[in-house]
Amino acid sequence: MIALFAIALLGNGALAAEHAKTEAKTVQTADAHHGHTHGPAGHPTTAKQFGYAYLTAYMFCLSLCLGALFIVILNHLFDAQWMIPIRRFLEHIACLLFPTMFILWIPIGYLAVDIYPWMSIDPDYDHALHAKAILFNKPAFYGVSCLLFLVWGFIAHGLRSASLAQDKDGAASHTRTMRRYAAGGIFLFAFSLTGAAIYWMKSLQHQFFSTMYGVVYFAGSVWVTAITTYWLLLYFKNRGDLKDVAREVTFHDCGKLFFAFTVFYAYIHFSQYFLIWNAAVPEETFWYVLRENGTWKWVGQLTIFGHFWFPFIFLLPIHRKLNFQAMSMMTGWAWLCHYMDLQFNIGPVLYPDGLSVGIYDVLSLGGILAVLIFMFSRAFNAHPPYPQRDPRIAEAMGVYVEPASSKAAH
Amino acid sequence: MNAYGLMAVFETPADAMHAAERVRDAGYSKWDVHTPFPVHGLDAAMGISNSKVGWFTFIGGATGYTTGMIMIWWMNAFDYKIVIGGKPMFSPFYAFPVSYELTILFASFGSLIGMALLNRLPRLHHPLLRNRRFCQGASHDKFILVIETADPKFNADETRKLLASAGSKHIEMVED
Repeated sequence: MIALFAIALLGNGALAAEHAKTEAKTVQTADAHHGHTHGPAGHPTTAKQFGYAYLTAYMFCLSLCLGALFIVILNHLFDAQWMIPIRRFLEHIACLLFPTMFILWIPIGYLAVDIYPWMSIDPDYDHALHAKAILFNKPAFYGVSCLLFLVWGFIAHGLRSASLAQDKDGAASHTRTMRRYAAGGIFLFAFSLTGAAIYWMKSLQHQFFSTMYGVVYFAGSVWVTAITTYWLLLYFKNRGDLKDVAREVTFHDCGKLFFAFTVFYAYIHFSQYFLIWNAAVPEETFWYVLRENGTWKWVGQLTIFGHFWFPFIFLLPIHRKLNFQAMSMMTGWAWLCHYMDLQFNIGPVLYPDGLSVGIYDVLSLGGILAVLIFMFSRAFNAHPPYPQRDPRIAEAMGVYVEPASSKAAH
Repeated sequence: MNAYGLMAVFETPADAMHAAERVRDAGYSKWDVHTPFPVHGLDAAMGISNSKVGWFTFIGGATGYTTGMIMIWWMNAFDYKIVIGGKPMFSPFYAFPVSYELTILFASFGSLIGMALLNRLPRLHHPLLRNRRFCQGASHDKFILVIETADPKFNADETRKLLASAGSKHIEMVED
C-alpha cells in the first residue's frame, strides 16, 4: 500500500511539475516586474549563504528548546507523574531560550536584510507585502523578536526557579506556582512559537499564506524533542544521575510521546499540504511548487517516508520502544529528518534548484550546538538531576507511600 | 458432574500476586487470577506475554487503508471517471482522509474481534459463575486463583498443597 502511495505520489508529482513550470514562470515574471530577484541565480552572496545556513541551524536548536519548554508545561498542566524524572533537564534546556538563544539570535538580526527578501522591497510596489505591512516592517520584526525571548525567558525561568526552590523546602505552594505559570504559559507559548515560525521562517516568502504553519513547526519541534528526551534520559541513567528514577515505564512513556507526535506531525503537515493542494490558489501553491524542483522533491519524500512512515511502522510494537539501541539510532534519524524538514522550509528560497548543504551549515549547527551543550552541562551539573521533593516523586520512582491521613486513621 | 478446577481465595492483591508467581514457576498453563480491580504487575507475575490483539488491530488498519485507497480509485478513476476541480483522476491526497477514517474503523473492528476471539467470547456460560463464593468474592473484595483440571500438570493433591502453601485460607473444587 505504501508502494502504491509512492507510485501515485510520483505520478502526481510529474503532473504537478507541469503546472509548476507555468506557475513558476508567472511568479518569476511577477517578481522581475517588481524588481526584487535575489541577484543572479546560483550566485548568492557569502552573507546570504551564511545567513541561510545559520538560520536553519538556529531554527533546529530553537526546536529543541521550545519543545523542552512545552514538555515542562505539559507536565504541570496534566499533573503527570511519569514526567518527573525528565523534568529537570528539560527545564534547563528550556532556560537556554533566554539569554543564550537570544544572544545566538543576534547574527540573524544583523543579517536580516540579507536573509529576508521582504526587507528590501518597497511595500508600495508589492501587494502581498502591502497587505501584511502591519507585521512585516523592520520595527515590528525586531520588536516582536525581542518580545518573544522575554516571554520565553519569563515562562522558562519562572518554572525552573519554582522547581529549584521546591528542592530546598519541599513546599506544595511551589507546585501551585508552577501550575499557574504553565496554565498561562501555554497560551503565551502557542502565540510566541507561532510568531517565531512566521517571522523567522515563513516570512522568507512573505506572499505565502498558511494558518497551519506555526503548528507544523510546533509538531516537528516536540517530535524531535521527545526522542532527544528519551536519549538524554538514557544517557543520564547510564551516567548515574537518573538511575534512581529512570524506570522501564519512563522510557516506554517517552517512546509513546514520540510516537504520538510522529502521527501528530504527519496529520498537521498533511493537512497543510492537502488544503493547499485542494484549493489550488496560486498565492499558496507556489510555496510547494518551488519545493518540487530538483533535489527538493526528494527532501519532501524524506519528510513523508522518513519523518512519518518509517518511525510509525517501526515503533508500533511495544518492544521497539524499549530497545535502547534502536531508539538511540532513531534519535539520530529524527535529528536528520527534522533538520532536512527545516532545510525544506528555508533552503529553497536561496537555492531553488535543489538542496545545498555546505561548510557554513556544518559550522553553524556545530557551533550553536556546542554553545548550547556547554551552557546546558553547566546548569545540569550545578543542580540536583531531578526534582527532589516534588509531591509525585515517590510515585514516579514506583514506591508506595502511605498517605499521612490513612496512618492517623489506624 | 465433572470437576472444572481448583479455586483458591486470597485476601489481598499481594497474596494473590505471590501465589501467581509460584503457580507460574511450577509450570501450570491453564489457570487464571480473578480480581475485583486491575492489579498492576499481575501479568508479569502470571508470566503472560504481550497481548496478540495488536496484530488484529494492525491487520484491520492495513485492510482499512487499502480498502479506502482502492475504493476511491475504483469509483473516481475507473468505474465512473469524473473530473472534479481540475484535479487528477486519482491522487492519494484526496483519497487519504477517507482511507485514514477506514484505517481507524477497521483497526477498531480488528481490535474488538481479536479481543473476542482470543478470549473465546462470546460464551453463554462459565462453570465459575455457578459458584456462589466466586461470584461474591471476585467482583467485591477477594482475589481468586483458579487452576483448571484440564491443565496437564494438574494433580488434585499436589495442586491443593501448592495453593495452601501459597497462603490461601479457602480452597475448593469447582464443579462443572
